[in-house]
Amino acid sequence: METLESRVDSGDASFLANDSAQRALVTELRERVAIAALGGSEKSRQRHIARGKLLPRERIDQLLDEGSPFLEISPLAANGLYGDEAPGAGVIAGIGLVEGRHVLVISNDATVKGGTYFPLTVKKHLRAQEIAFENRLPCIYLVDSGGAYLPMQDEVFPDRDHFGRIFYNQARMSAAKIPQIASVMGSCTAGGAYVPAMSDETVIVRGQGTIFLGGPPLVKAAIGEIVTAEELGGGDVHARISGVTDHLADDDQHALQIVRDIVSTFPRPNTQAWDVVESRPPIAEESELYGVVPTDVQSPYEVREVIARLVDGSEFHEFKKEYGATLVTGFAHLHGHPIGIVANSGVLFSESALKGAHFIELCDQRGVPIVFLQNISGFMVGRDAEAGGIAKNGAKMVTAVATARVPKLTVVIGGSFGAGNYSMAGRAYSPRFLWMWPASRVSVMGGPQAASVLATVRREQLGDEWSAEDQAAFETPIREQYEAQGSPYYSTARLWDDGIIDPADTRTVLGLALDVCAAVPLEDSAFGLFRM
Amino acid sequence: MRGATFGTVLIANRGEIACRILGTLRQLGIRSVAVYTDADRRAKHVAMADAAVLVESYLDSAAILRAARLGGAEAIHPGYGFLSENAGFARECAAAGIVFIGPGVDALETMGDKIRAKKHVAEHGVPVIPGIAEPALTDEQLMAAAAEVGYPLLIKPSAGGGGKGMTTVVEQSELAEGLAASRRVALAGFGDDTLFLERLVSTPRHIEVQVLADSHGTVLHLGERECSLQRRHQKIVEEAPSVLLDAATRARIGEAACEVARSVGYIGAGTVEFLVSNDRPDEFFFMEMNTRLQVEHPVTEMVTGIDLVEWQVRIAAGEKLSLGQDDIVLNGHAIEARLYAENPSRGFLPSSGTVIAVEEPTGVGIRVDSSLIHGLPVSASYDPMLGKLIAWGADRAQALARLDAALATTTLLGVHTNLEFLQALLADAEVRAGRLDTGLIERMLGGIRFRGVDDTALVAAALYLHSQRSGPGSPWNQPSGWRVGEHRATRYNFATSATESTDVFVTGTPGDALIRVGGGLERHARFEANLELDGVLHPLAIAQSGDSIWVSERGIACELMVRDRAKQLADHRATISRPVGAADPEVRAPMPGTVVAVSVSTGDTVETGQVLLTVEAMKMEHTMLASLAGVVTITIHPGDLVRLDQVVARIDPHEGA
Repeated sequence: METLESRVDSGDASFLANDSAQRALVTELRERVAIAALGGSEKSRQRHIARGKLLPRERIDQLLDEGSPFLEISPLAANGLYGDEAPGAGVIAGIGLVEGRHVLVISNDATVKGGTYFPLTVKKHLRAQEIAFENRLPCIYLVDSGGAYLPMQDEVFPDRDHFGRIFYNQARMSAAKIPQIASVMGSCTAGGAYVPAMSDETVIVRGQGTIFLGGPPLVKAAIGEIVTAEELGGGDVHARISGVTDHLADDDQHALQIVRDIVSTFPRPNTQAWDVVESRPPIAEESELYGVVPTDVQSPYEVREVIARLVDGSEFHEFKKEYGATLVTGFAHLHGHPIGIVANSGVLFSESALKGAHFIELCDQRGVPIVFLQNISGFMVGRDAEAGGIAKNGAKMVTAVATARVPKLTVVIGGSFGAGNYSMAGRAYSPRFLWMWPASRVSVMGGPQAASVLATVRREQLGDEWSAEDQAAFETPIREQYEAQGSPYYSTARLWDDGIIDPADTRTVLGLALDVCAAVPLEDSAFGLFRM
Repeated sequence: MRGATFGTVLIANRGEIACRILGTLRQLGIRSVAVYTDADRRAKHVAMADAAVLVESYLDSAAILRAARLGGAEAIHPGYGFLSENAGFARECAAAGIVFIGPGVDALETMGDKIRAKKHVAEHGVPVIPGIAEPALTDEQLMAAAAEVGYPLLIKPSAGGGGKGMTTVVEQSELAEGLAASRRVALAGFGDDTLFLERLVSTPRHIEVQVLADSHGTVLHLGERECSLQRRHQKIVEEAPSVLLDAATRARIGEAACEVARSVGYIGAGTVEFLVSNDRPDEFFFMEMNTRLQVEHPVTEMVTGIDLVEWQVRIAAGEKLSLGQDDIVLNGHAIEARLYAENPSRGFLPSSGTVIAVEEPTGVGIRVDSSLIHGLPVSASYDPMLGKLIAWGADRAQALARLDAALATTTLLGVHTNLEFLQALLADAEVRAGRLDTGLIERMLGGIRFRGVDDTALVAAALYLHSQRSGPGSPWNQPSGWRVGEHRATRYNFATSATESTDVFVTGTPGDALIRVGGGLERHARFEANLELDGVLHPLAIAQSGDSIWVSERGIACELMVRDRAKQLADHRATISRPVGAADPEVRAPMPGTVVAVSVSTGDTVETGQVLLTVEAMKMEHTMLASLAGVVTITIHPGDLVRLDQVVARIDPHEGA
């Protein structure tokens, strides 16, 4: 297999410029993540601790094996939304190791509005469950939530992908033999009561966890009964009398140890979707990713320099190198996992799309997971392109992406615009995971293009009456809107992705994810390969 | 040397001395037979010998003779301890036609009885400490003699040794009580309460002379050894020659030792022990003669260049000493340190365990006599001495420096040893100056500050565990604490004593880590073969056995116990539940039923587990016990019906219970 040779000069001015620009973005990312990781206000955190409770991140640390990585999902969810009062959308979710096996943890953060569910809290919870379902990960719910955020009940309660879906998913996963475990470490009110109630095995912390459909105020209003929260649904009640819970813990640490003990009783998955060989580091230096990729998504660069810094031994078996050269495809290993790589190197032409479709089919046929490295301004436009059938050829690639049964992992390393996003396994194509780099952009088209398209349409209506000044005034807000909405922070706040990652962590993140994906056997595929 | 002495020799011993003797036998081309007990099956001496035979005990003379016959041995080397000074065994050997490598039965018997020995040598003009040493003396006789012996004096049991039963009496008023105490100990310890008295020599130094005598009437002395560094009559450091003696005294004391040997027709290697007062170095008193090879014989070998075991064998085979007294030249200085399995920082408590790493020092002038091997179980059943480190130098200072360096390059993990104590001892100004006496160690003990578990050891242990878990393979299998943002430090917790534990936080890889010990500052560390901490290299040895991690630096080892999550939680829970007890103060009915008996009344004080009442349900009687101690409140009466889980009694724990 060919070893990719890096041709970059790390002393080169453009390399250094890229490097410092990317590093500045990574610094900003780390700061934002660190702030969000604090959770609620200092006051509410202190109040939480004063009750003898561990902070949600401490709970996760105590639950996971010592030193376990934690592949967190969307730590910047709700960033810039809800008056910035719901860091991380008030819930922490991610994959970690408990007793040596992968589990998905969903932990409410009671320091954020009492752990109540905002619309994006629900979305994040459901996304985490989706990841668990697709990857057959046991779910651990560390419950400490007052239920739905009542002022926004219309966006939280009634729709298909709202609060009720959480319990639907629990039931469906349990039916699929994916363990559902809850540890009740605080409130579990109303709908929230169903999280433990729908779980396979449940722990409650005495004097701290409560489970009830209606809390004391509602009980008093409804039937006039005066009762304390502990008497109504405390640990003793549920462990001793109601049987809603199975284990009674003395404190958070104890509860988490019981959960660890529960996990140790799970049967281990004994399937492996593909063979994993020994991991070897890339030959090219990973941290040079900062220098080889410009932060301006319009500047071209050699995507093989990125691949060389992600794959084992920098070895890449390139497929159809000479054909459709704006799409780079080929096989490699990453942390020992076989992968197919689909990476953009310019706009997609018909040939590139056909090559992409062919290669995706190839990966699917071989049962090799696909890593998409997105940096796509879109499909080629114009008379020649249309006449060449770019629409139907693009559709072939989109079809291949949509129907491939192998896991798809998408990393948006640059622009993600228009139908290019679809053909490169954008969010709508349900890749198992999707991450963004801090300099990436995602929108239907670029801001200047959108402004120009809309201005052209308007000029057709207004004709010559439209002055250049007026046009500029018309275009500016459009450009600004696209600028703001194309930001990865805008995206990640809304759960369009699973998080923004440090480019230098890309190999680690992909390796962690591939290990998770590899435990799920592949379905059978229905067709042979169609040569395009 | 000429022709072979014996074809096969059995070694009736174990440990370092068995290995030591095996070494010489091999050099002499003599086939060796070892004996071993069940516990010593994997011992080094068994592996070294040409043949080995299982025995019940190293004291089982019949079994050893049987082993000698089985192995075809013509002679038995008894080593030291065990049967080495046992006249009965020497007789059994003779009866079996096997040569006992040691003196004759007469010498063994005379010198084996300390009272007899003193009397005997005194008759031959060898100075002895004033005292009275006769069999079966009554307390009255001893008290009468005490005035003549003079104070301060020492009461010694005739039987036994090692200082057991010895009592110091400073003035007459203490005598009666001292006699009673010594008799009690002697009777219990040796089954013989015969006592004798002797003058206590002030600031005494223990100086002994090595003698060699053949069966043709030649008796030589090989100079002296000083063994004043003792703790509770156990020798720790020995050297040759003694700095106390001048040439004239050396000649006189040597001649006296030869006279002692001659007086009993001694044959072979023996040691005559003398007491010399620090204040009167020209005056010496005979104490006893050891009719065997001494533990500390290597220092004599190193300054004389003579292999004592070789001569023991040759003499036993009837050879004539080919040396004259003038051939014995003391060259340079040799010092021996004994390595013991004991914990000096905890009052020299004997320690046991399994050797999980061993590296013995090497170098110019360094000799190691040991039987240490990886996996060696160290138990309380045998002598706690693990081995001896001996250094030779052109002068005492060089020997000391070499021994010090040898101690610092010794690695022994898995069992607590006195290595650190030995280093402290050699660093002591009095020791360096040669101002030794048998009370020196006890006086200096309080001033030793043992290193204990320090940050370096904690960091090394944490990184050792970290590296055990790191390696190639999935990023999930690295203890990286990887996070999207700042990584979480991996926490390792170690019990550093019975009640204390410390967290060590590690971020990064073993080869490039940031470390924080407890609440301390962050430090940079690299761990590969050694530990580099903040740019300073620490040569370490480290090994793990179960939950124990042993770290040693410059010979100084410490043990850290790893506490995993579950262990920490268990300890945490024990502390939170202790004050009031995890037990529920409310006693609930386990079944619905009828109360048939109530054994206590409200206000009664009950103990944990005391019967409170009996409930009959489903034809079974259930006794309900107090879950904790306290004052009971009970409102149930016989005949009452109780529901499931109904509170039938309540116990209020005692204040402060």
